[in-house]
Amino acid sequence: MRDFLLNNVSPFPAKPDANGHAAVHIAPVSAGFVIHVLGNGAPDESGLTKVLGDIAPDLGGGLRSPSPGQWFWVGDCDISQGRFAEIAGHMPAEFALSDQTHGRVRIMLSGAKVRDVLIKGTMVDLADDVFAVGASAMTMIGHIGAMITRTDVECFEIMVLRSFAESLWHELDQMAAEFNQPHGI
Amino acid sequence: MSSLVKCPHCGSRPREEFTVRGEVATPRPVAGADESIWFDHVYLRDNPRGQHREYWHHSGGCRRWLVLDRNTVTHETSNVVDASTLKAEGRA
Repeated sequence: MRDFLLNNVSPFPAKPDANGHAAVHIAPVSAGFVIHVLGNGAPDESGLTKVLGDIAPDLGGGLRSPSPGQWFWVGDCDISQGRFAEIAGHMPAEFALSDQTHGRVRIMLSGAKVRDVLIKGTMVDLADDVFAVGASAMTMIGHIGAMITRTDVECFEIMVLRSFAESLWHELDQMAAEFNQPHGI
Repeated sequence: MSSLVKCPHCGSRPREEFTVRGEVATPRPVAGADESIWFDHVYLRDNPRGQHREYWHHSGGCRRWLVLDRNTVTHETSNVVDASTLKAEGRA
C-alpha cells in the first residue's frame, strides 16, 4: 500500500467549457472516482456488482470493462483515500483495486451533433442499436487511447489518461469546430 | 493489411489499434534441447506466401494478445482467438 497522498488536480484550464460549439458541448467531469478492478481467474460482472454494492452501497457508480476480467468502477461522488483503503481491504481475494482517479480523467460530450464529432476520431460503431446507452468501448480517438461510454442518447463520456487529456481536449475541440456559431451571433 | 480485424473481445476494430508481434513459432523446445534446435526456434522464420499464423497485440483496445490467420497475399485476417487458448491447448 502506498504511503503518500495522490493529488487529484484537473488538467484542464479554468474555464474549459467556454467553447463556441452550438450543437456540441464539451465539459470536464471534475468530481467522482475511477477505480481499476482487476479480477483473477474468471470473475463475472454480476458477482462484482454485488460485492461492490455490499461493501460500499452509498457510492453507486457503474462498471465499464476495458478488457476481459478488468473493469473501471466509475462514480460521481468523491471518495477519500482512507475510504478507498477501507474498500480495498474488504474486497474478496479474487479482485484487486487500484485508485486511478488522479490518473484517468473524464470528459463529457453532449448535444445533437455529438456522434458527428466522435466519428471523426473513432471507428467504433456508435449507432443506437449497436452502442446503446450504457455501452462502453476501449478504443482510440485519433492516436490517443480512450474509453468511450454512452451515458445518454446524446451524451458520451470519454475517459483518457491524464497526461493526454489536454491534447485530446484540443482534438475534440477541433473536431467540433464545424458546429461553431458564426461570429456575432 | 486488412483494415478491420475482428477482436474476440472488442468486435470489429481498425488495424491501427493492433501491433503485429510476429509468427506463432513452433512449441517451445525443452530446456535442455540441443543448441541448434533452440537456434531454429528463436531465429529461423518462414516467409510463406498465403496463410500465416501470427501473434497480434490489441494495444489500442483490450490489450490482450491474440492469434490470427493472415493471408500474406490478400492481407485478409480470420480465425482470431485469444492467445491464452493456445496455452490451454498446450501449443504455446
